[in-house]
Amino acid sequence: MSIPLSYVPLNSSVNPSFWSKLSELKIDVYKSNEIDVVIWGYSRLIENANLPTSLLEVDSTSFNKEFSDQETYIPFYGKFINTNTIEKFKSCDKQLLINNEGMKFVERFKNGDVLKNPSLLNWFILLTFADIKKYHYYYWFAFPVPQSVTIEKVSSCNISEEFSDEMMIDFYNEFKKLNSIQTSYFVTLKINNLVYLSSLYETFSDESVLKDREPYFTFLNLSPSSNVGSQLRTFVAFILHHRPILEGTKAKFLALNLSRDKTNISLKKSTIYTLKLPEVSSIDMSTTWVGWEKNERDNMGPRLANMKNTLDPAVMAEISNDLNLKLMKWNLLPNIDLQKIKATKCLLLGAGTLGCSVARTLLGWGIRNITFVDNAVVSSSNPVRQSLFTFQDALKSKPKAQAAADSLKLICPGVNSNGYQFTIPMPGHPVGESLLMQTMEEIDKLTELIQNNDIIFLLLDSREGRWLPTLIAASKQKMVINAALGFDSYLVMRHGVYEPKIQEPKAMTCPAGFKSVDGRKLGCYFCTDIVAPGNSMKDRPLDQQCTVTRPGVSQIAGALAAELSLSLLMHEEQIAAPAFYVSKQNVNDLEIDKLNPSILGLVPHSIRGFISSYEQFSPATEKFTNCVACSDFVVRQYRDFGKKFLFEVFNNSKHLEEVAKVPKFDDLSESDIYETGVDEEFSDWAIQ
Amino acid sequence: MENSTISIQDFHKYINAFLTISNDLLDEWKLNTIDQNIENNKFLTKKQVVLLRNPADPDLQIIATFEYHLVYNISYAVPVLCFNIWRQDGSRITLEEYWNYNKNLHDYNMHDTLTQMDHPVLNKPIFTLHPCKTYEILKEFLKTSKNPVISWLSVVSQFVHLDLLEEYLKSC
Ligand SMILES: [Zn+2]
Repeated sequence: MSIPLSYVPLNSSVNPSFWSKLSELKIDVYKSNEIDVVIWGYSRLIENANLPTSLLEVDSTSFNKEFSDQETYIPFYGKFINTNTIEKFKSCDKQLLINNEGMKFVERFKNGDVLKNPSLLNWFILLTFADIKKYHYYYWFAFPVPQSVTIEKVSSCNISEEFSDEMMIDFYNEFKKLNSIQTSYFVTLKINNLVYLSSLYETFSDESVLKDREPYFTFLNLSPSSNVGSQLRTFVAFILHHRPILEGTKAKFLALNLSRDKTNISLKKSTIYTLKLPEVSSIDMSTTWVGWEKNERDNMGPRLANMKNTLDPAVMAEISNDLNLKLMKWNLLPNIDLQKIKATKCLLLGAGTLGCSVARTLLGWGIRNITFVDNAVVSSSNPVRQSLFTFQDALKSKPKAQAAADSLKLICPGVNSNGYQFTIPMPGHPVGESLLMQTMEEIDKLTELIQNNDIIFLLLDSREGRWLPTLIAASKQKMVINAALGFDSYLVMRHGVYEPKIQEPKAMTCPAGFKSVDGRKLGCYFCTDIVAPGNSMKDRPLDQQCTVTRPGVSQIAGALAAELSLSLLMHEEQIAAPAFYVSKQNVNDLEIDKLNPSILGLVPHSIRGFISSYEQFSPATEKFTNCVACSDFVVRQYRDFGKKFLFEVFNNSKHLEEVAKVPKFDDLSESDIYETGVDEEFSDWAIQ
Repeated sequence: MENSTISIQDFHKYINAFLTISNDLLDEWKLNTIDQNIENNKFLTKKQVVLLRNPADPDLQIIATFEYHLVYNISYAVPVLCFNIWRQDGSRITLEEYWNYNKNLHDYNMHDTLTQMDHPVLNKPIFTLHPCKTYEILKEFLKTSKNPVISWLSVVSQFVHLDLLEEYLKSC
């Protein structure tokens, strides 16, 4: 009794280098032409016991003219077609293609090519479409076999039943001498208990070789030893073409499986099959071929390799950046929300030393949405201090906001960065008739940008410039981080959140020596100033308008501003996070855990540093009821009267003091100011 | 101070010996030489296909191709084992995905031990068993082994699915 033999097909495996080589060839050589060439694939000589199927692999060497020989590889001859469009890939008649290639394959039987080079019996078709820009590769492998060749199994046994251990060792030694094109298909003969390996050429060009002998038609089994690889069907077709007399008869086949037996390579897993061959009159009748590979969903259909993460350098860089942050998360900060950081949008008002420094630190933190606003162009003195600019930017007088945004993209292609060049309207800077429309547009643009961003950084070089964004951001209850520089000092602070009616916050327990201020009660940059910001250009001598700062100061302050924003962003209570400050000197143990920290630690209200003494303090200041920028009086006036109010202030900054009901100097009691740090005049006119 | 490093000359000597054994065993390790005129210009590579099973869900398995690199790290003056992994379609398996499939390292601090670093010769990011732990392992072998690189590799290979044949150890 015989039963139909079942086969296991090969399984394709593509090395990433194959796709990158294909892209390279497409761009450099084939351009818009369809690619239709011969390529090489390979399978492994030694069985991988862990895998359910054998693999056919392709890599960058697949495109070489000659098969790049490696002792343990079995060459596969491949027909490769890359279509130009996805439509052609889809509409290509796969049955017609495999039949046509099958007929060409039969030609190679007839003209003697296969006889001389039996490795041609191992062949495949690969149809692809490469969407190079997206790094998407559609592909479909076929391992073609003639459909009409069906084989029945009469019996099978392990090789050891018919070959002694000694003969097997002989066998392997003879096998090792074979040229790689001969290793996959040959005929094994036992002559006086000696193993003789006869090439296909030798076997089929001389009638006498098989005469009165029982040959083992031998094939390297491209399947785990428990099964038979489907390429046996092409081998049988080949044998029947050369020996039609064998049609319908029984013959012995040796399915060779090389496996590692400790350190030796052995044939012990090989199987001898007695097979009943089909009664096809000729391989010429085999007009129908099968063998298209099923996809990963086990359907007859193509596969898609999405190689964006593997081959796109920009994406690869982003993955590496992300990994750094993830390592921080896994090792130190399990609760950090990296997705939130990535989604956070930052508006940087000012693209000078501070803007550059803040942006670079934010990039490191994984912030990927950064917008700059600055009215200036890059000047020749900027690049040495402003880390995003080059001498070339200065030569071209590029607008700073755009130059900074472009520079971020050069550093990190994955960033979404934009730049806008305009002047932020300022109190006490009257707007002339001719600039009215433009100023209106600038206010609208600024309002829109503040609305569309999550964190607003005030990194401007003038005090007046900070007023309008402070007011708009307060009205929109946005997170505001402010940084200002003196010659050798800096101030970095967050603004308190604006709430029309502050509910009394729940009492917080404070460790001895500390006091805390609820985030809704914290002041803004202007809260400690009781004078409305005026036109400081008018009132100050020139040398004060343009102080220089020590170069490191902006780097320190920029980094602190970015770090403060991250601490705040990661705090449970967001901008309402309370700020703690030291109320008594000589507090010893700073137990951060007791001070309602974010996962990144404390979130102070302000940080003041002095490079001359290398000291730093973190005072907290309460909101000033009559603040000219964030008080309820001013915010309500802005909400009620909008631009009308703003223009009144631009034309006359004293108007602000009236709206804010700023008390006369004499009325102020000392206790309104909670500031405990060292007071210092911060120059807003430093070159930044 | 006890010496726990290897000179680059010795590294080259040890990997040459390693390669000779591999060639005899048909173990597919390949020598790569970079043309550039730098001292650290040689490393070994080997491709190995592994069926990765997710320990948490045995039904989740993928055929993964590992490309191992045995390279010299000049700053640590030790050998390092690096590798890339990809699926059957060629797309890269990320470090996080691999961690899910790697039960060998579950008991260790994986993020410290197996991380991504730049390839010491190719300067591209590649998964790397961090060299800082190498000293401890190497220290003993430097005294006892004829080929400390092989001895060290035989210890670390098992953590990252690399099969190292016993035959190699006979030369140590
Ligand atoms: Zn205020």
